[in-house]
Amino acid sequence: MAHRVRRYWRSLLSFWATSMEAELEYQLNLLIELVAVLGNLAGSLFVLVLLAGPRGELGGWSWNSALVVLGIYTLLDGFTSCVLQPNLSKIVSHVQNGTLDFVLLKPIDSQFWLSTRSFSPWGLPGVVAGIALIGWALAHSEEALSLGGMALALALLTAGGLILYSLWFLLAGLSIWFVKVWNATEVLRYTLVAGRYPISAYPPALRVLFTLVLPVAFLTTVPAEALLGRASAAWALGSLTAASISLVATRLFWQFALRHYTSASS
Amino acid sequence: MSEAIVLAEGLSKSFRVADKQPGLAGTVRHALRRRYRDVEAVRELSFAIQPGEVVGFLGPNGAGKTTTLKMLSGLIHPSGGRVQVAGCQPQRRQERFLQQITLVMGNRQQLIWDLPPLDSLRVNAAVYGIDAIEAKRRITELADMLELGEELHRPVRKLSLGQRMKAELLAALLHQPAVLFLDEPTLGLDVNAQARVRDFLADYNRRTGATVLLTSHYMGDITALCERVLLIHQGRLFHDGSLDALTSRLAPCREVRLELRQVHAREAFERFGTVEAHQGHQVRLLIPRDQLTQQVGLLLSRFEVVDLEVSDPPIEELIGGLFRQQG
Amino acid sequence: MARRSVLQSVQRAMRIAAALLSSQYAYMLEYRAEIALWALSGVLPLIMLAVWQGSDGAAAAGLTPQGLGRYFLAAFVVRQFSVVWLIHVFEEDALQGKLSPQLLQPLQPLWRYLAAHVAEQATRVPFVALMLAGVVVLQPEWLWLPSPGQLLLGIVAIQAAFVMRFLLQTLVAMLCFWSERAAALDRLLLIPYLFLSGLVAPLESFPPAVRRLAECTPFPAMVSFPAKLLAGESVDVGAGFLNIALWCAVLFPLSRLLWRAGVRRYSAMGA
Repeated sequence: MAHRVRRYWRSLLSFWATSMEAELEYQLNLLIELVAVLGNLAGSLFVLVLLAGPRGELGGWSWNSALVVLGIYTLLDGFTSCVLQPNLSKIVSHVQNGTLDFVLLKPIDSQFWLSTRSFSPWGLPGVVAGIALIGWALAHSEEALSLGGMALALALLTAGGLILYSLWFLLAGLSIWFVKVWNATEVLRYTLVAGRYPISAYPPALRVLFTLVLPVAFLTTVPAEALLGRASAAWALGSLTAASISLVATRLFWQFALRHYTSASS
Repeated sequence: MSEAIVLAEGLSKSFRVADKQPGLAGTVRHALRRRYRDVEAVRELSFAIQPGEVVGFLGPNGAGKTTTLKMLSGLIHPSGGRVQVAGCQPQRRQERFLQQITLVMGNRQQLIWDLPPLDSLRVNAAVYGIDAIEAKRRITELADMLELGEELHRPVRKLSLGQRMKAELLAALLHQPAVLFLDEPTLGLDVNAQARVRDFLADYNRRTGATVLLTSHYMGDITALCERVLLIHQGRLFHDGSLDALTSRLAPCREVRLELRQVHAREAFERFGTVEAHQGHQVRLLIPRDQLTQQVGLLLSRFEVVDLEVSDPPIEELIGGLFRQQG
Repeated sequence: MARRSVLQSVQRAMRIAAALLSSQYAYMLEYRAEIALWALSGVLPLIMLAVWQGSDGAAAAGLTPQGLGRYFLAAFVVRQFSVVWLIHVFEEDALQGKLSPQLLQPLQPLWRYLAAHVAEQATRVPFVALMLAGVVVLQPEWLWLPSPGQLLLGIVAIQAAFVMRFLLQTLVAMLCFWSERAAALDRLLLIPYLFLSGLVAPLESFPPAVRRLAECTPFPAMVSFPAKLLAGESVDVGAGFLNIALWCAVLFPLSRLLWRAGVRRYSAMGA
């Protein structure tokens, strides 16, 4: 068992080393990514200022608290650019080019391979900017976080990341059946921008949508509340449950997809 | 008799294909009522391969060779029959099975396009659990056999097709698999590159005793490498044996061309075999293989022969003729 | 070759246009699933509408819920029919050498891409209509029907904005002849487009200084101007169209220059 873990760990390191090596040939990219991230952040802050109006409040959230939400969104967006997009958008090209066969014949779990094979350093500016924004906003907030509170906040952030992964994986995996809807993950990326703002800024009907259908609430608002020291037990539990269920769902879905690909069921 | 490393019994595969007419009307009709038809790609294949054999799957495009290879490597579940490779059921894709096999496809590659092959090799070493020193040793050995040197340090996209295929083979053999599945490995290669790949495969088989299963529609691959040939036509196993046996089966006769000093009547030759052509000093006869030596001996003693040529009708023509007949 | 009369040239142009458009439309129909999804990804103005409704900032800027609803729905439609994706296909074609056969034909390749965009817009219509219907079913008070005059002006404005965006992206696409990563530059241009064009925030909510700055750029003409026309808000029609015309007058010769230089370089490199 230990040997297996070591093999998976070694594989992960070699995946990311070779992946970065291929990307770092284009240094101009780093500059462009940096400018893009900062530009986007500046624009989002500007819009937030406009929305918050003279009282500096959005959906009952103070200016500072809303910054935490924006920071988490930027962090998750950076994570998407680092890991989710470079890997999962390749599933459709594997299916189209027949190279999925090579993945299936390696003695490594195919979901692991497809999810971690690449790492794009171009998402890192987003990750760093997001963390910086969160840190800045927390430093200016009145509530101080206990150790337990910090642990909970990190757990909920991780849960949000896992839910995001599951959403991406489920959509990208659809290309086993439908190659023509390869851009479904793009739709996801464009709809998740709703996570820039706290859930309470939206009308009630949309809040339900953003909790049950497209769980944006669990991605940014719930972890933000935890970071600000006002986590509610119900939401925290809901987030952790949603994360576990969605991970299991990806596993079951992938096995179902593979059975179809290898025409096991026919 | 030792245990067969590849065993197939009654292996079958049929695909369910949607029967859809082109155009907008067809799409609508298909959406309302789906029609399917079954395409039988492979029918009742049975064979056993011993460790160390080099076996060729021969057949025209669409015969079912690649489907068979995919079933043997576990990429496709068979519709019927059973298959066992290296003591495992391929479709379960267990780790110990995957460590023992490798698949190389002539029209696709697993090497990373933008990086030198060495980087892809590093990844494979990690994935197969080969430690760095041992991996280096194996790479040197295989690179030597494949005549690869500084190519390993150049990005794959800058290599020629022949060099790329050699690098693919290196990457595929790093973990020393017991069974090699090769699907059209010399596809698109020039004559020299093809010869090198064939030499390497023969050499590798000799040295390591690995079992090689190879599909190709190039006769050159088959004649150079395979003692045993499985001819697949329309999904069925037409022939399982040596290439000579196949030639004999398809063409029981051999062609004998004689140039004589004197002109003789046609009837004089009819007792030796079928007279195909008779023109003055040139005679062409078809003689059954089992009588060949005897009849040629008699011809040489009876007539004054200036020149004698014995040949096989080319195997490609025989097989092509077979497929044209039955297809 | 005999000199063609003006009539003949016009006839030839119409024939080519008809052929291009019909073939591109058939091509786009094959990809309607993908296009439907692209239409779905244009949901940003609707999300922003939801955030602006009931926000303090809206009230402070004097924006009524009714007005916001109309504006953002109009902005949604404007964006759907003025989206330009030239840079992605052009970069791919240039890098893979697919431009070469096009350059050998007596037709400026950019017309093909333009025809593709128009065909794609036509293919989007049913999906955009579906999305609008969905929104209106949920919030019937946002439904409004523009007067025929407004509708016509709005459509003309959307197409004018589309042409301007196309020209702007053509400029960036020409850089593909010099660099492998020109598409990244377009990403940078998307940022001011997003924030200064009125797509995520109506220009009325901007502080006056920022608003004046924005209006010096071509971006408000891309969304804010056509959207306001469609929504029936009061806007200086003449000035708006003149603005677009001026920007096009600057972009068009520039892109022609860059195109010539780029093609020279492309053929010099032995494409």
